[in-house]
Amino acid sequence: MSLFDTAAPLVSGAVVALTCALVLVPLAFMAGASLMPAMDIMKMPYRWIPETWKPANFLRALAGNDGAWMYLRNILNSVIVSTSIAVSTVVLSSLVGYGLAKFEFRGRNAVFMAIMGTMMIPFETVMIPLYLIIVKAGMQNSYAGLIVPFLMNAFGVFIMRQYLITFPGDMLDAARIDGCSEPRIFWDIVFRNSGPAAATLAVLSFRQQWDNLLWPLLVAQEEKMKTIPAYIVKFAAEKHADEGAMMAVAVIASLPVFVLFFTLSKYFLGGSAVYQAGKE
Amino acid sequence: MKRLAAVLLAIVLVAPAFAQAPTVSALKGKKVDVSIWTHEDPNRTALEKRLIDEFMKANPGVTVNYQTYPSGKIKDIVVAGFAANAGPDIFNLEIFDEYQFITNGRVAPVDFKAAGFKSLKDMQAKYMPGMLDSVTEGGKIYGMPLELTNWALYLNKKIFRDAGLDPMKDYPKTWEDVMSLSEKIVKRDGQIITRRGFDFRYGYYLTSVMPMVEQLGGDLISKDGKSVITGDAAWLKVLNYFRDFGPNGKNLGSPTYTAARKVFDNDRNEIAMSLSGLYQEARIRDANPAFFSSGEWMVVPFPQWKDAVRKVPNNYYGHFYMVNAQKSKLNQQASWSLLGYMLSHGAEYLEKVAIVQPSKALMDSSTYKSMPYSDVFTKDMAAGHIVYYGAASSKIEALLKEAFESVMLSGVEPSKALEKLRKDVTAALADI
Amino acid sequence: MKSRQSMGRLERNRSKWGWLFVAPGLVFFSVFSFYPMLNAIWTSFFNKRLLSLKRPNFIGLQNYVRVLGSEDFWNSARATATFTVGVFVPLFIMSLLFAALITSMKRGKRLAQAALYSPAVLSSVVAALIWLLMLDPRGLANQFVNWISRTPGIDHRWLSDSVMVQVSTMIVYVWKYLGYFTILFVTGIGKIPDSVNEAAVMDGAGPIRCFFSITLPLLRPTTVLVSVMILIQCMKTFSTQYLFTQGGAPLGPINVITLNIYNTAMRDLNIGKASVMSTILFLFMMGLTWVQLRVSRRDEAEL
Repeated sequence: MSLFDTAAPLVSGAVVALTCALVLVPLAFMAGASLMPAMDIMKMPYRWIPETWKPANFLRALAGNDGAWMYLRNILNSVIVSTSIAVSTVVLSSLVGYGLAKFEFRGRNAVFMAIMGTMMIPFETVMIPLYLIIVKAGMQNSYAGLIVPFLMNAFGVFIMRQYLITFPGDMLDAARIDGCSEPRIFWDIVFRNSGPAAATLAVLSFRQQWDNLLWPLLVAQEEKMKTIPAYIVKFAAEKHADEGAMMAVAVIASLPVFVLFFTLSKYFLGGSAVYQAGKE
Repeated sequence: MKRLAAVLLAIVLVAPAFAQAPTVSALKGKKVDVSIWTHEDPNRTALEKRLIDEFMKANPGVTVNYQTYPSGKIKDIVVAGFAANAGPDIFNLEIFDEYQFITNGRVAPVDFKAAGFKSLKDMQAKYMPGMLDSVTEGGKIYGMPLELTNWALYLNKKIFRDAGLDPMKDYPKTWEDVMSLSEKIVKRDGQIITRRGFDFRYGYYLTSVMPMVEQLGGDLISKDGKSVITGDAAWLKVLNYFRDFGPNGKNLGSPTYTAARKVFDNDRNEIAMSLSGLYQEARIRDANPAFFSSGEWMVVPFPQWKDAVRKVPNNYYGHFYMVNAQKSKLNQQASWSLLGYMLSHGAEYLEKVAIVQPSKALMDSSTYKSMPYSDVFTKDMAAGHIVYYGAASSKIEALLKEAFESVMLSGVEPSKALEKLRKDVTAALADI
Repeated sequence: MKSRQSMGRLERNRSKWGWLFVAPGLVFFSVFSFYPMLNAIWTSFFNKRLLSLKRPNFIGLQNYVRVLGSEDFWNSARATATFTVGVFVPLFIMSLLFAALITSMKRGKRLAQAALYSPAVLSSVVAALIWLLMLDPRGLANQFVNWISRTPGIDHRWLSDSVMVQVSTMIVYVWKYLGYFTILFVTGIGKIPDSVNEAAVMDGAGPIRCFFSITLPLLRPTTVLVSVMILIQCMKTFSTQYLFTQGGAPLGPINVITLNIYNTAMRDLNIGKASVMSTILFLFMMGLTWVQLRVSRRDEAEL
């Protein structure tokens, strides 16, 4: 045992620990500031443990500056929209990914490349044409308008295709010989067995929608149809929004995703069979 | 029980005070849905919702859908709505952004009868002279003023005294004063400012920095409209002022500190002077009633340069309610009737929201005159002119911001920044 | 004879099912991606204004000439390129490094990954709110740096200085995505059979040599995936810059191309010019990805 062998793990452990601590600083700041009166947040030097506690920030965050308690409704909207999108992304992406991974047909590569190409489209580019479509379909101010344009995405198709490429073909052939119909095979065999990939994709899509700001701002014109990011922007823009209450709004917005992430974390932390992109 | 009785009594007493909205005969027996998009302002929302309810009660066929948006976002939303031919019946933006709706034929001229005027002449006669010019195009008027606002200098007397100054005597009259007072008042922890004397309203260069240039004889666009950025000496002096004021100069303020007008209300010894409109009084009253009634703040006119060649106060800007030209005649009629009713409550807008509709009746009213320091705003407004508005004004605003902040923050030479500005503004105007 | 016929039918049948499975995707992407993108490309040849009710005129390549001749566009190209390089290099190296460190740890692997990943859970709006407060001259960032470097009272001008504001956007981005890409690498490393590494250790290779001569080459598919993803993400960056400029930061230094597209469309209402920039960005990203995949494939063939 050389000195290097004993020291190396300690050093690498320390580096990792220190970085993790640094990365968590802004989160700790958010949590602390959410419980402080606004005037303490900008104090120099900064005090991590609030001198005066102000849990009323959370009340203000939920009630809103106008006392209309719209945040709860907006949170509900975010949950509905993000959940629907997560579910539909998983189902539709595995459908398409399965088609691309396990069937030979002419133009398969072209279809795959075309779908991948949509990843290069910046959202700001298609925002206006997309809005025109939604308006023509009469879907403004509805869950449909918030959900439909994001029912699936190229990244989801990519993940599911890569995952399903390694799916054992024997199982599928055996089922075919037994006379299973193709939709049944997909549903009972393929979809049921794509747990970890589906879970990861669900979390990623959920998070992405939870984050979406521009689109809900355009489509959800009514207060009661707005989602969390739109509420935050509104809350931060309103006159006299104090920073403590603003951080409380931020904490409330982040909690559900944290819970979701940590309950599903076992699927995608530590080398689970999710990103099969490498395995050809 | 006693309390309930008191509440009931209060309701009975107050109820007659509620105005009866007029029933519009053209709307009788018809179903009309009217949508309004407007910017957020909690006090105004409460007032307008009440007025709308009254109007709907008097006109049962009319349903009004009232939506508010953050002021930083509403323009994008209205534009997208109109681009998709799905705009609201009624909306308001700053005149600056509304002008393009007029030139593109997206908004309808005022229906005088529906809005409660006898004629064009009658409408013009009811407002202060010139106040409708910015929405008058080809002999037609395209909007009703919701508010016209100019800014003056709010001043915290306590901080002045704390810095050994006498607010009544030492308040700033010139831009040179503003700078020297700021140097006396400023407090820092190293380079980091903990108390500012004055700070600009960054992002509003057309409104409050153009007057500084004009005072010295410069112009954005010459009177004949042929040349752009005239009077270089004036521009350079103002650009240099920003450089001296900013972190590379005397380090008195910068755009990344919290907006001055927001911290002013808090009265936490953070800012002594801030530019804002009369509406700020309502905000102070709501946010910090103790400070509001303490008499520890005052308002003084917009400063002028020592060697100003003309007196130019802060430009005023307006919000006008406009009506979507793509909606049916009936919708337009209902919209103008509703607006006519809402905006006939100028005194209430003033009392509850502290915004000023520039009607003669209101400006002469005792309500207006009894507002603290309203005379300061009136005098400045009478001597001032409206903010530059045109098809490229949003772009020009962004270019001004870039030019001034490049000098203030990035150490760009004022003359270089000015050349770039001239080139960019010329291109922006050619690109309409 | 009979069996070949049935094979042919089976194949046709399979091909039919393949199309059927892919169909929902094709319909969806046609309506919500291909059509809007083609629409944008089409619009780029017209003198189209967002609010105008007049029919837009076809003006050929004029919009392209204007955009390519404007300083503003090239400033945006510079801003996007600087941001992409400034994020790509540290993000790629750090996520690879931390993945290697975390895999070598005996305990706390999960915890470390979860901690690094947690910023990615916050929404961009929340992240921007937090950072705007921390980067305020009186905020934590100045205090922290001054404490480390023992320089009290220095204002590092995180948001106001034209260089620092670019650095700040990069810090926020790296902070946000470090955990995400670390996890991708950890997954990739996890797929390398232990036997390969053990054999190398038997041959007397140290951990650092092992990493460079064994792990890294075998990790190639993951590195390609991660680098393509970081590139695309960086070039599409929008919300951090957008929210920073809304918070008072100067636009010029961080006027990335997507922000320019947004402002050209929504502020200047010039949808024709905005479409030109969109088209250029789209084609550029396609080209870059294609080159990247090409290069990596050739390398693989050589291996």
